[in-house]
Amino acid sequence: MVEIMISIPVIFVTIFVGAILTYLIKLIMPKVEAYFALLVSAATSYMAFALPKTESIYKFNLGSFNLMWGNNEYSHLFAMLVAVLGFFVVLYSMDFMAGKVNLGFYYFNLLVSIGSMLGIVYSQDFLSLFIFWEIMTWSSFMLVIYAQDEKFSVGIKYFVFSAIGAYLLLTALVILYTNSGSFLLEDNINNFIYLSSQNQILVIIFLIIGFGVKAAMMPFHVWAPDAYKAAPSSFTALFSGALSKMGIFGIGLVLFKFAIQNTDYFTYFQFALAWLGGITALLSTFYAVFQTDAKKLLAYSSIGQLGYIIVGLAVGTPLSIMSALLLTILHGAFKAMLFMSAGAVYYRTGLLDMNETRGLIRKMPLTFLTALMGIITVAGVPPLGGFVSKWMLYEALIQSNYYFLVIIIFVASTAAFLYLYRFIFSLFLGQEEKEFENVKEVPIKMIIPMLLLAGFTLAVGVVPGFVLEQISKAMGYLGIQTPNWENSVLFSNWENSSVNLMSVATSIGILFVLGAIFLTIKNYRSTRYVTTKDIHTSGEVPTENENLTFAVNFYQPFERSLGSVIKPSIDRIFNLIGKNIESAADYLRYIYTGNGQTYAMYVILFFVVLILFADLMFGFKF
Amino acid sequence: MEFSPVHYIAVPLFAAFLIPLVGKVSKELVKLIPGLVLLYLSYGSIMLFPKGMENPIIEIIAGFKPPFGIALYYGATAAFLVTLVTLLGFVIWLYSYKFIIREPIEKYYMLFMLLITGATGIMLTGDIFNLFVFLEITAIASYSLTAFLRDKDSAEAAFKYLLIGSFSSAFFLLTVMILYTYTGTLNLADLASKADMIPANAKGFALLLVIVGMGIEAEIFPLNGWAPDAYSQAPSPIGAVFAGIVVKAAVYAFIRIIFLFFKTPEVLHFIVIIGLITLIIAEMAALRQHQIKRMLAFSSLGQMGLVILALGIGTTESTSAALFQMFNHAVIKAMLFFAAGYLVFHSGSKLIDSVTGLGYDKPITSFFFSLGALAIIGLPPFSGFWSKLNVLISIASEGEILIIVLILAASVVEAVYYLRIIGKLYTRKEIDSNPRRTPISGLLAMGILAIVIIVIGIYPDVLTQWLQPAAENLLNSEEYIQTGLF
Amino acid sequence: MLYYIGAISLILIGLYAVLVKKNLLKIVIGLAIVDSGLNLLFIAIGYVKNATAPIFSSESLTADKMVDPVPQSLVLTAIVIGLAVTAVALGLVIRLYDHHKTLDINKIRQLKW
Repeated sequence: MVEIMISIPVIFVTIFVGAILTYLIKLIMPKVEAYFALLVSAATSYMAFALPKTESIYKFNLGSFNLMWGNNEYSHLFAMLVAVLGFFVVLYSMDFMAGKVNLGFYYFNLLVSIGSMLGIVYSQDFLSLFIFWEIMTWSSFMLVIYAQDEKFSVGIKYFVFSAIGAYLLLTALVILYTNSGSFLLEDNINNFIYLSSQNQILVIIFLIIGFGVKAAMMPFHVWAPDAYKAAPSSFTALFSGALSKMGIFGIGLVLFKFAIQNTDYFTYFQFALAWLGGITALLSTFYAVFQTDAKKLLAYSSIGQLGYIIVGLAVGTPLSIMSALLLTILHGAFKAMLFMSAGAVYYRTGLLDMNETRGLIRKMPLTFLTALMGIITVAGVPPLGGFVSKWMLYEALIQSNYYFLVIIIFVASTAAFLYLYRFIFSLFLGQEEKEFENVKEVPIKMIIPMLLLAGFTLAVGVVPGFVLEQISKAMGYLGIQTPNWENSVLFSNWENSSVNLMSVATSIGILFVLGAIFLTIKNYRSTRYVTTKDIHTSGEVPTENENLTFAVNFYQPFERSLGSVIKPSIDRIFNLIGKNIESAADYLRYIYTGNGQTYAMYVILFFVVLILFADLMFGFKF
Repeated sequence: MEFSPVHYIAVPLFAAFLIPLVGKVSKELVKLIPGLVLLYLSYGSIMLFPKGMENPIIEIIAGFKPPFGIALYYGATAAFLVTLVTLLGFVIWLYSYKFIIREPIEKYYMLFMLLITGATGIMLTGDIFNLFVFLEITAIASYSLTAFLRDKDSAEAAFKYLLIGSFSSAFFLLTVMILYTYTGTLNLADLASKADMIPANAKGFALLLVIVGMGIEAEIFPLNGWAPDAYSQAPSPIGAVFAGIVVKAAVYAFIRIIFLFFKTPEVLHFIVIIGLITLIIAEMAALRQHQIKRMLAFSSLGQMGLVILALGIGTTESTSAALFQMFNHAVIKAMLFFAAGYLVFHSGSKLIDSVTGLGYDKPITSFFFSLGALAIIGLPPFSGFWSKLNVLISIASEGEILIIVLILAASVVEAVYYLRIIGKLYTRKEIDSNPRRTPISGLLAMGILAIVIIVIGIYPDVLTQWLQPAAENLLNSEEYIQTGLF
Repeated sequence: MLYYIGAISLILIGLYAVLVKKNLLKIVIGLAIVDSGLNLLFIAIGYVKNATAPIFSSESLTADKMVDPVPQSLVLTAIVIGLAVTAVALGLVIRLYDHHKTLDINKIRQLKW
């Protein structure tokens, strides 16, 4: 019975009706809505897991279009990401959002956005994909503006970019539709070659940009930092972790189902996209270094990681795609961890400015642990999962002769240490401030998702097989031949010399951890607890309240040397364009002078113009 | 008594005369009469609708058969639009019930009834001079209703409307003259069958006159200067009437005449371009408006530009998409005007900035406004999405990718100014909680429209099945001539 | 022909008043003149030389001796409509004068842009 119950429409009904009910419950019985939302998301996530792959296909007609929902391996991979993160985020929200206003609104939009993401991945036709895409856009927009006050309004920027992306998508879809007469993915894939070459290129470019906007691809990333910062941290975890991955989902689909059919230009697309991804990774890393706001820093980091993923997809060898998809999953986990830990700090201190927070390690050890594991994963240090994916990416790039790109990616990765260190230092290390004396660890419902995700990153690093297996199945759907991840230098046994780098890496990692534990135990007795105040500077004993660790101007020298290159950012160019359009609109407005007589004059002039150009326009003379 | 299309005109006209008399007795009754009338008409519409969809009903007035007498032509397109008008009219009445508290109430309802008469008359009539008369009835009622609030600005808006509206009627009268001179008939079907009798240059001149004359009412670009003023200064329910009913009737008449007499590729091409220009300029102008209702007015112009554009494509798909868009625009814009009316009322200012934070103080009204805004931008799962999609598909099948891109660029602009308001609504700000609440009748009216928007958004097939016959009826002038003349 | 010229020149005179004159009253008068011109034009179209009114007053009167009755009836309607519009217009002008204390159309432009 249970198997029959679980189908895609049931999932949608559960989550969307659940979202509405959550809103209504909030009106009737406040405080219960969070539990109800948790229940809904738990049920949805469970069903997403239990949903049979391949055979659960659901066809129907809507507005004279054929639509189809179905689950395949590729969908399943992303659905897992959404289901897990969605559930964790709702769980995290229960305490994080407690006491805020308009919670019904928050949970409604949160659940709707989770549901729409599932909708995107389960759509087997472009129309329902687009519908869910737009639902996702507005529900996330609502959450971005949820917390804004008068000084801070960023929602518009997010929506404008989303709208541009969505409308490019729509244009492409409409072109595809007129070609194939159907919105079904399958039909469109099969009929793609019948499209004229020019339209093929147009469609691919539109689709990639359309999806790329959500994946914060340069130069369309400018909405991301502000939107990530403005949204509540709990949602940002989902935003960066899962929502932006929908762009990756789409790009993967476009590249390997459509673009690959256009053999003449496919390599150009690959090349362009790979470089775009590389530049995204590099530049956003530099931007991240200069951020003082923890969430903005993480936002830029997120953009950078998505850049890696795009590079991986674009290079298009089995190994690189695998690394990209692995990073997709991993990034979902670790970026959620980082945003959640930043959120946890905010929850206890109300601060996100890294110039003001410090020394929380003793007060919030578990949060610190999560953040630490998060940054280790980002940095790609064994034994956590980030290492595996980075390694695979480098290997794939070198195999495909993208040497210069390797250098760029490597520089970006290395530079990533700068901001990662800053993140963890400013929040957790350094001198403990008086004002944080009463800070406690966050409640258990916030800790659980963070630690579970941290455990996941560790598991991926140690035994990546269980994720890679699912990924290789997903790649099978994309039509990538034998996902030979066993052949990666990383895992192969190297028949003769039998060096298993994976186990090497793992051993190194474990040794490292053991060493750390050993040192801790060994030095535990011999160390004396000193406060940071317990020092002498030129014979003066600093007072209690004097601050001795500084996170202000953390990378000042670095900023001085590179700032001028980074500062004239793309953001400003877009602002300029926006301003110009607005002032053009302003001038256009003056057509409506407000004088009735002028309007009458327009009528007569229009008539005269019509008469004069009648020959030209309608083909007759008087 | 069986319902016949004549009732659409006769009943509200009679009510319009009755209302001032009743006003001497009871104010409450004055308020109720239009509701009853519209309820009756809505009921009749629903009864008559399936019949009209199948075969056009020709209703002869005063015993003379066409082409001599005046006939009403209740075809599929008219059935679709008239049903829309009566149902929407009822909702607008519901909203007005508590919204219009300023005297003279009986005049308001009298003019409102006249507007309904005029609009349904435009859609139903089969006689070109009759069309002129109904246009004028609509116009005069609109002028007066624009000035209903009696303040400085509404008088100004009404005067501009009147000035330009007079041009419209003059141009249209000239068209009637030319057509009559060469064919000797006024019946539309008869005229269309004799269109070949008109010499080319006279026909061309008539075309230009129609474009200008009807273009003013249909709000195409350089002729729509009056519209933002009138929309924004009229009482909010009347703004909804303008956007939902009056302009729909005008566009219908415009396109009907064009399709009957002047359907050449060049003319259609011209209509597409003029629609596109209207759309783009209106959206750009809306971007920098400071008043909500004025912004809604410009948005309305833009939407009608889109409708006209789609009609100009001239295929069955595009025409049905355009009718769909008309329907959606009527419903959604009515809801936006309703919500904006109370937002203005609650905040005490017409300015967009003054709604800041109202989303928390007046959640339901703000919710309806946001819903309408999302729907009109064309976001799923709301009704606006489907019509926009259909419009785009119909354009794409003609291969006009550039037009699609331009439409969508305009849509981005549209999204900006609507979401700016949503953003403001839900921006946190300390405001003095206003004890005034949106009355039940207003909420009910908006609720009905919201349900329509969502239901059609989720399941568009409710509506789309009727669009095809309506579009074919509008496009097929042969059929119109045959059925119109027996 | 003369009728046509007369009617068209009336229209043009009215148009001149509407487009050039700044005084609201003159504009309204202009509109009325345009209306009259149009009505005259329509009558002129239906005019048959040396014909009489389309009333069957005597047996010998046949259809070709009568002017076309349709334009006349239409013009009657148009005159009524024109009257109504003029009345509304004058009402609005009065109200505008009350509010603005001027009749200059250039000064009455609160609603713009």
